[in-house]
Amino acid sequence: MKTYDDLATDGGSNIIGQVVNQREKLRFRLDKIKNKIALLSGKGGVGKSSLTANVAACLAMQGHKVGILDADLNGPSIAKLLGVSNDVKLQISADGVQPGEGSLGIKIMSMDMLLPSADAPVMWTEGKDATAVWVSTMECTALRELLTDTIWGELDYLLIDMPPGSDRMDNIRDLVPELAGVVEITIPSNASQHIVTKSITKNSSLGVPIIGLVENMATYVCPHCNEEGELFEGEDTEQLAKNKGITFLGRVPFDTRISRRTETGSLFYSEFKDSPTGKAIAGVVGKILNFIETDSR
Amino acid sequence: MKFLCIACDEQMETQKDGLFNETNRSISLSFKCKKCGYAIAMLTNRFETEFVSKLGVEMGGQSEVGSGPMSMVGSTLAQGKEELKQSEPASNAVEWTQGAKDRMAKVPFFVRGMAKKTVISFAEERGVKVIDEALMDEVREKVGM
Repeated sequence: MKTYDDLATDGGSNIIGQVVNQREKLRFRLDKIKNKIALLSGKGGVGKSSLTANVAACLAMQGHKVGILDADLNGPSIAKLLGVSNDVKLQISADGVQPGEGSLGIKIMSMDMLLPSADAPVMWTEGKDATAVWVSTMECTALRELLTDTIWGELDYLLIDMPPGSDRMDNIRDLVPELAGVVEITIPSNASQHIVTKSITKNSSLGVPIIGLVENMATYVCPHCNEEGELFEGEDTEQLAKNKGITFLGRVPFDTRISRRTETGSLFYSEFKDSPTGKAIAGVVGKILNFIETDSR
Repeated sequence: MKFLCIACDEQMETQKDGLFNETNRSISLSFKCKKCGYAIAMLTNRFETEFVSKLGVEMGGQSEVGSGPMSMVGSTLAQGKEELKQSEPASNAVEWTQGAKDRMAKVPFFVRGMAKKTVISFAEERGVKVIDEALMDEVREKVGM
């Protein structure tokens, strides 16, 4: 009797062919994007999305074409941060879906743009008995569709704003094997630093290039006098980076205007690039570009 | 997953039609041996259906349903924008009532192409030009499985 391997096809569904086709479509889209960078943190609440938006602003102001994929499927915030309204009508054609265009012409795709109202949650058609296996598989497919079916066009940089935690990295590494690298983000608290070390260890063992570690909310900057004060107590993040053998990308002070500006779609960096926080963001971007330039040689 | 006709030692072929039972979310797919014509049906429980539906591939081969942008996201978001749902190409061969369209929209996208084909073939065989919910009930009853 014939065995599984003796049967050349699957009898008509051509599942392998469909998967190959999906991969080709993904490659067609991603090959037009020069550099893909993931920004992640082990823990939530470290200001990852705000930093991603402002890194994008800095790159755009240097004349680069930039896009952001909001890979935080269940807590999407990038569209709002860049001023892409939820009620924008989606432009869908056979080729794909047009991305939103945010501040400074930054292209965006986020689950938020696919929902009918600002307060609509990302909920799937399954009932409350949906299992983790379904949801996880569905989210992997959703991420592939967001990457593949968005008409990104030619971009210099695609920033991938990751959800908290490092579990989605396996998915991204599989979809974007040419990823230039990941930017790990922490705040100077013991809890955040503890978790980010796990993320760094995981990415190192997966063979994902680590561009470096950023200490966000490193200090508090008074918007009136630009004096800096401490916000959190924790270990020395620069030393932590050294211990893990990765580059320290810099300390970004917290500025209250960063959230006020991004809430209205007007990016902090574009208005306050000469503030201590603005200069720190520029410093981080400089090191990211340096890593990519060195890596490409 | 592959199916083998033991008597002929031949691979069974996936038939290009299939049914989806909305009540228990079960799929009925048939496979046939091209040598002896022996046919079997594969029936899934709702858990198996849900799992396969998340893979982003279509049973019975890729159809117009699955080739649209963001097919899986559009069909599985409980609250998605209308444009996402409308991105699915419509069939020109027959007319669908809104009730029939709504019912077909509940079929997971990965078997929707097959289910559509089943209903359209059934309608065409009977010279029916408008597909409504009653016809869809009839399909399920007559085609059985």
